[in-house]
Amino acid sequence: MNRALLIAAREYRQIAATRGFWVMLLMIPLIIAVSQFAGRLVTPKASVAYVLVDASGQYAPAIQHRMELSYQRAVLGDLATYVQKWKVGSASPGAVWASGPRWFSDTEAETFIAQGGLPTALRQIAPHLPADATPFKAAEPRLYIPVGPPTGVPVDQGPDAFGAAIAGPLQGDVMTGEGKRPLTLAVYIPKDFGVSADPARIWSNGRYTGELIDTVRAELTGRLRAQALQASGLSQADFMRIESLAAPVTVATPPPGSGRAQVVVRSLLPLALVYLLLITVMVTGAMMLQGVIEERSNKLMESMLACVRPSELMYGKLLGIGGVGLTTVAFWAACAVGAAFATHGVAADFLKPSLVALNHPWIWGAMAFYFLAGYLVVSMIYLGIGALSDSMQDAQAYLMPVVMIIMLPTVLMMAATAQNPNGVLPHVLSWIPIYTPFAMLARLGSGVSPTEVLGTGAMLIVFLAVELYLLGRLFQVSLLRTGQPLKLGGVIQLIRQREAG
Amino acid sequence: MSVLSLDHVVKRFGDFTAVDDLSFAVPEGGIFGFLGGNGAGKTTSLRMALDIIRPTSGRIEVLGRAPGRENAALVGFLPEERGLYRRMTVLDTVVYFGRLKGMRAGAATKAAQGLIDRFGLGPWSRQAVDKLSKGMSQKVQLATALVNSPRLLILDEPFSGLDPVNQAVLEELVLEMARGGSTVVFSTHVMQHAERLSDRLLLLSRGRKVFEGTQAEAAATLPSRLSLISRADPRGLKGVASATATGPANDGWTAWNVELAPGASAGDLLQACTADGFALRLFETHKPSLHDVFLHLVGADQEIVK
Repeated sequence: MNRALLIAAREYRQIAATRGFWVMLLMIPLIIAVSQFAGRLVTPKASVAYVLVDASGQYAPAIQHRMELSYQRAVLGDLATYVQKWKVGSASPGAVWASGPRWFSDTEAETFIAQGGLPTALRQIAPHLPADATPFKAAEPRLYIPVGPPTGVPVDQGPDAFGAAIAGPLQGDVMTGEGKRPLTLAVYIPKDFGVSADPARIWSNGRYTGELIDTVRAELTGRLRAQALQASGLSQADFMRIESLAAPVTVATPPPGSGRAQVVVRSLLPLALVYLLLITVMVTGAMMLQGVIEERSNKLMESMLACVRPSELMYGKLLGIGGVGLTTVAFWAACAVGAAFATHGVAADFLKPSLVALNHPWIWGAMAFYFLAGYLVVSMIYLGIGALSDSMQDAQAYLMPVVMIIMLPTVLMMAATAQNPNGVLPHVLSWIPIYTPFAMLARLGSGVSPTEVLGTGAMLIVFLAVELYLLGRLFQVSLLRTGQPLKLGGVIQLIRQREAG
Repeated sequence: MSVLSLDHVVKRFGDFTAVDDLSFAVPEGGIFGFLGGNGAGKTTSLRMALDIIRPTSGRIEVLGRAPGRENAALVGFLPEERGLYRRMTVLDTVVYFGRLKGMRAGAATKAAQGLIDRFGLGPWSRQAVDKLSKGMSQKVQLATALVNSPRLLILDEPFSGLDPVNQAVLEELVLEMARGGSTVVFSTHVMQHAERLSDRLLLLSRGRKVFEGTQAEAAATLPSRLSLISRADPRGLKGVASATATGPANDGWTAWNVELAPGASAGDLLQACTADGFALRLFETHKPSLHDVFLHLVGADQEIVK
């Protein structure tokens, strides 16, 4: 065993000294970091400016108020999430933000504004926040900022003059209370709107401003309906009562970690593990393959076999490559934890639904088992190919079909699992040993029975033992073999022959 | 005591018999040469002694035990096909093999450094192997075989691929190892090396042993030949099997090629000539070369180098 450890240490050092290893190790964290950084750089400022001219003097306040309510509702939602995260609802139990995130009604948004809005809420919760709490930040800025008509744009010469004059400013930025913003939309409500047939007119710079246009349209429509109802004899009080009516609807949501909508989120960590397993095992497997072929092509094998048994060589290589794989996964996990801390728990929040689904210690044990077993299953196939090949060219003849056989169904299974973890393909692949680790890892987030875990686990252990035995035989009889790559029949014949140990 | 013995060993690869009922013993100390043409079974026999492959039948003993890696600490091996880890440094390579043979890290490093210095590789000890010349790499490979100061050193075609200078260096090293008490077993198809180095020889042909013994015993397998110049016909002399006149010399003397009868000695013949007054102007013995012995025992169709 000591010799196997020496071999493992040498294999580990050799792979760790290659550029390929470091590229693989750093690639995933770098890609994630760069994509995050680039994302921040290219994300445009979402807020835009708009001009609202109400020549009638009747509609602008309602539209502005509606826009404010929309914004305050979004802020209230973010605040309620923040309060729940840091468990500071007790700071003001009666406040609308104290009882968790949900859809907030207009009334609740009005109450929030009436209670002092965000500044008051933040003052109230500040003394109750834990020391490590991050400052509150609304997910989105105020999307639509009202501005006055730009200089030189007439507001009292009718819509045509206004439209002609506003066309220029709509191509550029205007100064707002929050800095320069693109002027995206201009609304002109004629003086006798609702009385004559003159429409309210909207000019856009082409950028999507659907929410703003919908709000303008809804408010104007509402006011016209109200005027019509009042004209038909409905009292102001009755109208207000009718307008405040809302259909009583209750929405049942699945408990955390269940439900179809949550499947992708809940499977996120297991699927990520399958992906990492695939990448790690393919890259390190290729490195190991190169190592064995180097020993064969460099005529090293005879020197080695004079000192160590073929089985020791095999175990050493498996241990070394296993160490490389574990190092890789440990490094990526450390990066993930580091990122979670660096982003103040945003990553952890994102993964929370997935972690909720993995709430039993035995599931974590099973994940570790399937990951390691998957690593060994594929590594041994690579080692076997190395034992049969004199050169990388020889190895390619075996490698291509093997990679296709492993990759294709696994990738299909990953897609199928995201849709339905208990579909036919993930289920069937769970019981085919070379796919078992991948399929079971992918399904672990969606509630796999302990019986199935035990059954597939036992099958996998037997398969690994058989694979180890066959690889051992292959190492014994083929390491000094030279000549053309063997076909499958030749490999079987080789394994069956009696040779050295 | 023999350090290596094979007893009726047979090795078959499918229908092909590589080693056929081979028995021999290598005594402790000295240098033992394995001679044979290509495909004679030399490498197969050495691989079996190292447990790299196993015999189909028969028994092998190495240092009093069955072949196996348990012997690795006492055995050094230089294979015919040589190679090293290209990206490992010279020192790490030699230490690694020392460790694989059971040496402790400190002892392996000390021994490796000593060998590296002795082979003139000191300035390159921290260099990767792929930066070395072929000759230097061969020395590193040899150092991996010697790092554990082996009691039994097995060299498979050690001179192949070496230039004459390095061949001479290796010959000296083999002699030095033997003087130091190691038993050296080496295979070769170059007769000169065997002739210069071997105390005992094993001649193989197509997997079978055709001779085992000392060089003198090998030479004795051929009839002794003499060149004579005499006045009289030597064919009647005791011990002479045949004599052929090669031409008249001056003043009635005749030159002869004489072949002695098996077991007859040239010294006895000279003594008899002197005692009987058989006049001689030349009495020259011809010692058969190993090449002659090989051709005599094996035939001319084997690929060997004189």
